[in-house]
Amino acid sequence: MDMNQYLSMFIDESNDHLQSLNENMLLLESNPNDLSIVQIIFRSAHTLKGMAATMGYEDLASLTHQMENVLDLVRNEKLAMQDFIFDTLFKGLDILESMVEDITQGGEGKADVSGLVTQLQAIVRGEVVSTKNGGTVEQASIKNNVPAIKTSSAIQLDEFQYSVLDQSIAEGHRVLYLEVFIRENCQLKAVRAYMVFDALERSGEVIKSYPSVQDIEQEKFDHSFSLYYITQKDPAELEQLILNVSEVDRVELVELDHESLKQMGELATSTSEVAAASVQLELPPVDSEPSNKTVSETAAVNQSASKTAPKAVTSTPSRTIRVDIERLDVLMNLFSELLIDRVRLEQLASEAKDHALTETVEHMSRVSSDLQNIVLKLRMVPVDTVFNRFPRMVRDLAKSLDKKIDLVITGAETELDRTVIDEIGDPLVHLLRNAVDHGIEPVSDRLAAGKPEMGTVNLRAFHSGNHVFIEIEEDGRGIYRDNVLKSALKKGIVTQEQANAMSDEEVNQLLFAAGFSTAEKISDVSGRGVGLDVVKAKITALGGHVTIYSTPGKGTNFSVQLPLTLSIIAAMMVQMGSEKYAIPLSSIVETGIIKKEQIRSVHGNNMIEFRGSHIPLISLSGIFGIKDFNEASEDETEIVVIQKGDRMAALAIDEFIGQNEIVLKSLGKYLPQVKGISGATILGDGQVALILDPNVFIK
Amino acid sequence: MGEELKVIVFKLGNEEYGIEVEKVQTIERMLPITRVPKTYTFVRGVINLRGVVIPVIDLRGRFNLPEGEYTDQTRIIIVAVNEMEVGFIVDSANDVIDLNTDRIESPPEVVGGIKAKYLDGVAKIGDDRLLIMLNLAEVLKKSEIIQLESIED
Repeated sequence: MDMNQYLSMFIDESNDHLQSLNENMLLLESNPNDLSIVQIIFRSAHTLKGMAATMGYEDLASLTHQMENVLDLVRNEKLAMQDFIFDTLFKGLDILESMVEDITQGGEGKADVSGLVTQLQAIVRGEVVSTKNGGTVEQASIKNNVPAIKTSSAIQLDEFQYSVLDQSIAEGHRVLYLEVFIRENCQLKAVRAYMVFDALERSGEVIKSYPSVQDIEQEKFDHSFSLYYITQKDPAELEQLILNVSEVDRVELVELDHESLKQMGELATSTSEVAAASVQLELPPVDSEPSNKTVSETAAVNQSASKTAPKAVTSTPSRTIRVDIERLDVLMNLFSELLIDRVRLEQLASEAKDHALTETVEHMSRVSSDLQNIVLKLRMVPVDTVFNRFPRMVRDLAKSLDKKIDLVITGAETELDRTVIDEIGDPLVHLLRNAVDHGIEPVSDRLAAGKPEMGTVNLRAFHSGNHVFIEIEEDGRGIYRDNVLKSALKKGIVTQEQANAMSDEEVNQLLFAAGFSTAEKISDVSGRGVGLDVVKAKITALGGHVTIYSTPGKGTNFSVQLPLTLSIIAAMMVQMGSEKYAIPLSSIVETGIIKKEQIRSVHGNNMIEFRGSHIPLISLSGIFGIKDFNEASEDETEIVVIQKGDRMAALAIDEFIGQNEIVLKSLGKYLPQVKGISGATILGDGQVALILDPNVFIK
Repeated sequence: MGEELKVIVFKLGNEEYGIEVEKVQTIERMLPITRVPKTYTFVRGVINLRGVVIPVIDLRGRFNLPEGEYTDQTRIIIVAVNEMEVGFIVDSANDVIDLNTDRIESPPEVVGGIKAKYLDGVAKIGDDRLLIMLNLAEVLKKSEIIQLESIED
């Protein structure tokens, strides 16, 4: 069967499940006793396993299977969650994620999971389970045996086999569960297995084996197989018998009684129970949170409140459909062509002065601007798609740095254009890492400073005007002007004179300078001196900017301002001789006219006075080599004052054309990046106009 | 036995050149070109081809041939190679021929002033016509351009 058609569905759903696993694991970590969460996790893992197995991703399925085994014990209260179990499970999730990623990239989804599988199996066997948790100890006597059996819960007894075993016990036979391990270097595994079976069948009956006898004969097993066996013999004697077969490494025997057999039976039917359980489970996660008094205010919980609700909704028939991103892009392209024609039509209508035509065109304009809103909205994605991996990341970071950190996410539902979403992930990761590593102090420092032990990182997203703000605010040590300046001086980024003249805001911006890092020692997490400059470059490339607000000793806030969309922008169209250019409105402060005598020359640079300060006058025609216009030959020059941060400059323009909504187009892959040009747009008359990137002109 | 190729034939000066038909998207008459400042000298600018912005290069300029006037015959051939769409300005383009790969011979060092590495070969068609097959990937190679630029500097 051709699986390709299901592949994209598999990838999407796997990612959804992995995400839900991650979130719920975090939730569980803060509420380790809430079994309803375990149920949700178990269901996700189970579905994931099923899908992976169907698609033929064996490694993925087997790892999930082992994780499921652990979860199953937890679910049935046979194992209490502990730190190392969380860590192992999280590690498992990481590997699962990388495998799915590999599949997405067209790989086989293969990975070496054996180490982790062994660890998980060890947990299932209860080997590493320390007794520090009282809850497990009381059950240890019987359960010690049972977990061992669970290792291969893949042995599922059907009703008939179960009753056979049950009756055998009732009749006084011994029912044993055996796991036989054959040496790894064994050449003829199937033969050895056959010899084991042969020996066993001489003195009893094998009820069921895993893998099946057929598979074992064809060597379709690793180095161990397990089976249920009814006999009269003494287990010790039996063990010896099996060990007599050469190349058998070891045997694990567990004698079953009614009780433990029943649990095995339950296990076998657990799959069907899951389905039943899901119905009752719709509510518990929400219910149980307030009731849990221990660590309820941690990041995971904060996030979960919004999280669990949508998850529950997904089980009802969804009113959304998945659409290929490419189709949306095509829609966008078609729409932009329409927009260009609209502008052209408006022009023609105003020239024709035909009442009926003008009216129709006006109506069409209204419809098309509604359409524009919808098309743009279609491309909007909640920032949650980027934020959702952060709780996990912060948890791991905090753990590795031995800090206590509470990540509070607000406004995860805020929407941004998909193109921005795709690009914003890495910069945010960097800023968060920075906040956790450099911002929040170690626990001891915090206590000494009279702050709560637990540091708080606020990750906020919100709309404001035509922009979306994403803020990362922590209550850490804050930025000390002197430290920053000292470091910048040492690295030769600024001179002493410059340093003295700098405002606090300018000093903060130094953090974004290339090759700057204030951390005294290089840590695993950040502090290699690369990073923040890259963050800034990326955000600037997206048409946004970053501002730092910091109070020494109180904390720092990195505020990232992003444009709502990248595909349609408002721009001022200007004429330069015979050429037309578009300047994004977002960077224009104002427009004006200056007289020739107002232009002053300072060190060979043209400056003009603007609102009490002197700003440079930049000659666009000079920079772009425009042949048929030169402002120097004019008595009066139109200017556009542009802004980048708090710096300004004026561009000399030939003539203003007017304000327009323009559709951004790339210049194609062939042309190299042109400094000062960020793209192109198509005008109403079908001509191409270039879009200026004013940021480049301000140094 | 070689394969049969369909080849678009275009002219630069007196020479005839060929590009495999699969690599050609469309052939257009001259369109208004918007100049792009600060780029390679042979890049004439960008055009709007049904809503897509495509850079156009003057093939004469690319091969350092003397530049000619644009006439009624001038055409822009839009080619797509390695996911790049680029327009070539050529003197004229008015023929599609079938060509057997066997008839393509490896090119001499320099043909019509164009270095051999930009060529796939030379094919004899008819009695006295020579067709020069272009190696598009090489013509559009960026590292090549950068070198070329640095020599010019």
